[in-house]
Amino acid sequence: MLKNYIKIAWRNLVRNKVYSAINILGLAIGISACILIFLFVRDELTYEAHFDKADRIFRVTNDINLQGQTDKFALTPFPLAETLKKDFPVVEAVTRVMPIGKQTVWLEDKVFSEENFYFADSTFFRIFNYPFLYGDPATVLDAPKTVVITDELAKKYFGTPENAMGQTLKFSKNTHKITGVFRDPGHSHFKLNALLSVNTFDETLKKQFSGDWFRMSLYTYALLPEASKKSEFEASLDTFYAKTVVPWMKENKLNASMQYHVQPLPDIHLNNEFSYDLSPAGNKAYVYIFGLVALFILLIACINYMNLSTARSAKRAKEVGLRKVIGAHRSQLVRQFVGESVFITMLAILVALALVELLLPYFNALTEKNFSLANFGNGPFLLVMLLIVAFVGLVGGSYPAFFLSAFKPVDVLKSDNSPRGSNAWMRRILVVTQFTISLILIIGTIVVFSQMQFLKNNDLGFNKEQVVVIDIPNGDTILVNRLPVIRQKFLSNPNITKVSNAASIPGERTGRLLYLAEGANGGQMEEKTLSTIFVDYDFLDMMEIKLKAGRNFSREIKTDDSMAYIINETAAKWLGWKDPIGRSMENGLGAKGKVVGVVKDFHFASLHNKIEPLALMLAPKSQGFLMVRVAPQNLPATLSFIEENWRAFDNKHPMEYFFLDENFNKQYRAEEKMLTVFGYFAALTILIACLGLFGLASFTAEQRTKEIGIRKVLGSSVTEIMLLLSKDFAWLVLISILLAAPIAWYGMNRWLQDFAYRTEIHWWIFVLSGLAALIIAMLTVSFQAAKAARLNPIKALRAE
Amino acid sequence: MLRTLNLDKKYTTDEVETTALNRVSFEIKQGEFVAIMGPSGCGKSTLLNIIGLLDNPSGGEFYFLDKEVSKFSERQRADLRKENIGFVFQSFNLIDELTVAENIELPLIYLKMPSAEIKKRVDEVMEQMQIAHRRNHFPQQLSGGQQQRVAIARAVISKPKLILADEPTGNLDSAHGQEVMNLLTELNEAGTTIVMVTHSPSDAEYAHRIIRLFDGEIVTENINARSFAKEML
Ligand SMILES: Nc1ncnc2c1ncn2[C@@H]1O[C@H](COP(=O)(O)OP(=O)(O)O)[C@@H](O)[C@H]1O
Ligand SMILES: [Mg+2]
Repeated sequence: MLKNYIKIAWRNLVRNKVYSAINILGLAIGISACILIFLFVRDELTYEAHFDKADRIFRVTNDINLQGQTDKFALTPFPLAETLKKDFPVVEAVTRVMPIGKQTVWLEDKVFSEENFYFADSTFFRIFNYPFLYGDPATVLDAPKTVVITDELAKKYFGTPENAMGQTLKFSKNTHKITGVFRDPGHSHFKLNALLSVNTFDETLKKQFSGDWFRMSLYTYALLPEASKKSEFEASLDTFYAKTVVPWMKENKLNASMQYHVQPLPDIHLNNEFSYDLSPAGNKAYVYIFGLVALFILLIACINYMNLSTARSAKRAKEVGLRKVIGAHRSQLVRQFVGESVFITMLAILVALALVELLLPYFNALTEKNFSLANFGNGPFLLVMLLIVAFVGLVGGSYPAFFLSAFKPVDVLKSDNSPRGSNAWMRRILVVTQFTISLILIIGTIVVFSQMQFLKNNDLGFNKEQVVVIDIPNGDTILVNRLPVIRQKFLSNPNITKVSNAASIPGERTGRLLYLAEGANGGQMEEKTLSTIFVDYDFLDMMEIKLKAGRNFSREIKTDDSMAYIINETAAKWLGWKDPIGRSMENGLGAKGKVVGVVKDFHFASLHNKIEPLALMLAPKSQGFLMVRVAPQNLPATLSFIEENWRAFDNKHPMEYFFLDENFNKQYRAEEKMLTVFGYFAALTILIACLGLFGLASFTAEQRTKEIGIRKVLGSSVTEIMLLLSKDFAWLVLISILLAAPIAWYGMNRWLQDFAYRTEIHWWIFVLSGLAALIIAMLTVSFQAAKAARLNPIKALRAE
Repeated sequence: MLRTLNLDKKYTTDEVETTALNRVSFEIKQGEFVAIMGPSGCGKSTLLNIIGLLDNPSGGEFYFLDKEVSKFSERQRADLRKENIGFVFQSFNLIDELTVAENIELPLIYLKMPSAEIKKRVDEVMEQMQIAHRRNHFPQQLSGGQQQRVAIARAVISKPKLILADEPTGNLDSAHGQEVMNLLTELNEAGTTIVMVTHSPSDAEYAHRIIRLFDGEIVTENINARSFAKEML
């Protein structure tokens, strides 16, 4: 029986080459898109899974409430780990990970600037099992002034990992001995280059840190005996907080409250709500969206299959009738046709796998990952293939199966007629579904695109173009003191118009500082936190930020360097000051001063967030960034001028510079990526839907050959006949637009909620997408219609 | 073999009711060769479809092998059909995607017969119908007469007790038509009951008995003189 089914399925395929090609290609494209998305989604969902104890490792996080404003911190204070180890029976092991920031490393005569260096407790590798090439993970970090590095760093510094063992790395203060080389497999929220032993800290430093419960400086990870102890752990943290931390805060007059939380290690990657988290988090929403898109694409491919199989049902009707006459049950026929779609799906999977191989390099470039079919794993691979076969085979195969197997032999075996297309309605519904989905994706793509344009072109309140930013190396006071010299040097170049330095720049993190500020109507000073940027005299001028009231910091007024504040409009409003100039402020570092100016709001953070209250303080010698505004002409020459002079000025550190606008737009990387992926997959769905439409159109044309012949004999023109054949499909696309518009509008509005500043969803987006879909559909259909319309009527009529 | 009592069949399409059969009663005995004749649209095919368990009557009783089957479900009818009835159509109704041999073996596949047995029977019946040399051809490569012989081979392969033929010679020239009639006669002589719808008086001559229908009713039922004579000899 099976042999008979396969034979007939195969011969049907071979005999209807165009139909089969369309069917298999459509399915294959859909399946390959699905496999690619699956690779991406699985990767996002299995972060940290390579750690043996992943399910038992938890990170302690910290909600900090200051004046009614709660911030979630991934960072915790230094002494927490000690306490967990000593007083928490539920905790099996603890490790701290302390970020160091950008670090200069000296190696004999060479200098490197490195990121992803951390201090860690010696327990780190007992909790997180990294593969070690050299050294014993249990003890590598025990001794002070030890460091373990990755094999990649070892190769970069010493040629081979082996050579690295026992060598030393020189940092600004200490020299550390390399006691181990490990491999970082990635796929974790840690991105490691090197770990330094916490035991390096001297006693004074430790003492200074360990009494402080409000200095959030490091990440704390705890290993529990089993995952289910999480709530017990959380409860004991609450008890501990009430007993120990609360009294300490009172004693230190800290007007804040905190709550510790416990976060399972695997949840870290897709959670982006924490401040000061390690490497940029993934986005849960995008993972779901892509999953949904995959399902959509598969559905569209299935619909193609359903449509094409039922459209050609007349050709199979006789077979169904006959099989029934000789005693086949309906269930046997259903099984046959479902089996046939499973068979076709398997062929499509073969084509899809080839397509995936072909597309993977591009997909990897797009996602910045390194996927391959080989590291899929046999089990999951087979499972996914099985799921696809089941989904496509059943969803795609069941409708044609039930439709075909319902034919009555008495009707279909009559010599004179073939069954009429009573499935025309169903087919229309399916085409509308396909185009609705495609249109939703097209509209989505356009909305994401226009939001990106909005983000990039929106007036930020400062001029981010044509600014070169030099990263000033940390901890070099001599360098900072000589900044005025280099400023003069730079300004001597006619293509450099402005130079300014500031502790932070728009697009980079801006710290918050605690202030005492005058009440709304004068009176008592109140505690307030404001984002704060330390700037020099030229910051406003260089950034082209506009003053709204008062004045800029001035070199002529000596008191400005410790007693003057400039705030933004939002801060003035938030503090309730109608006339902000002259109001008193005092920052947590003890600088008492007055507000001398108010600037128009500018976006110092991404447009995801509302502009926050901001204070600018004068600190002409702040470490941080040196910004250089350059003229557009002769840019390469200006850049090499800057490079040359900076190198002459500082030859101890590697020079790092970037453009302010590029750096600012980095904040939209996730959206940018989403746009690209969305765009590609929208194009794919349209392609698959059109393949189906092409097939359908050719069958309609075939079915109506006689009608077309008669119309032509009676004098219809080619155009009139093309119109006749295309009209039906045009209607379907129009209905799809009406259906897709509200769904897309709703979905994209939800997406835009993520942005405090967002573009409108303009009506023309719907018109444009609809028009695009209509044109593409009509081109597809009219190709077939034109062929039918040009056919010699005599031939058409004889074909009957 | 089969017996009907007051069989009715009504079709309702677009609220117009057509009476295709009206109180039809008759009996067909094992081993008989019966022809059904009458003008176009008088209900011959309808009657044959009911006898062949492809359709249920709207009213009346129908005994097939002494079982009352007029209310049988599609599934029950399919099972009875599979075991007992072979069909031959005017338009052959061969599956284009299957070869001659594959078309013929189809009923046995649904009877779940072991493949060695299937092969044996297919070889036998193709020999008998003189189409063995065409075994791997597809239907379109055969002449009409050959196609009808394949169809007959398919109808007899499961050794049914009853063969129903709806205008089996309607699409054939007279030489090929005669060949088909000879085959049916041979089958009948070997013991198979045959009921055949035909327009052609000369084909009807091969039958023992002719049932004449007009507007859904039996008008005459007569013993065919020639075959009667033949039996007398
Ligand atoms: N499926 C059907 N639906 C409606 N009417 C039918 C159907 N099949 C047959 N008829 C009607 O029943 C009558 C008998 O048809 P049929 O048995 O096919 O006649 P014959 O085979 O003698 O030419 C005709 O009037 C025909 O129009
Ligand atoms: Mg008829």
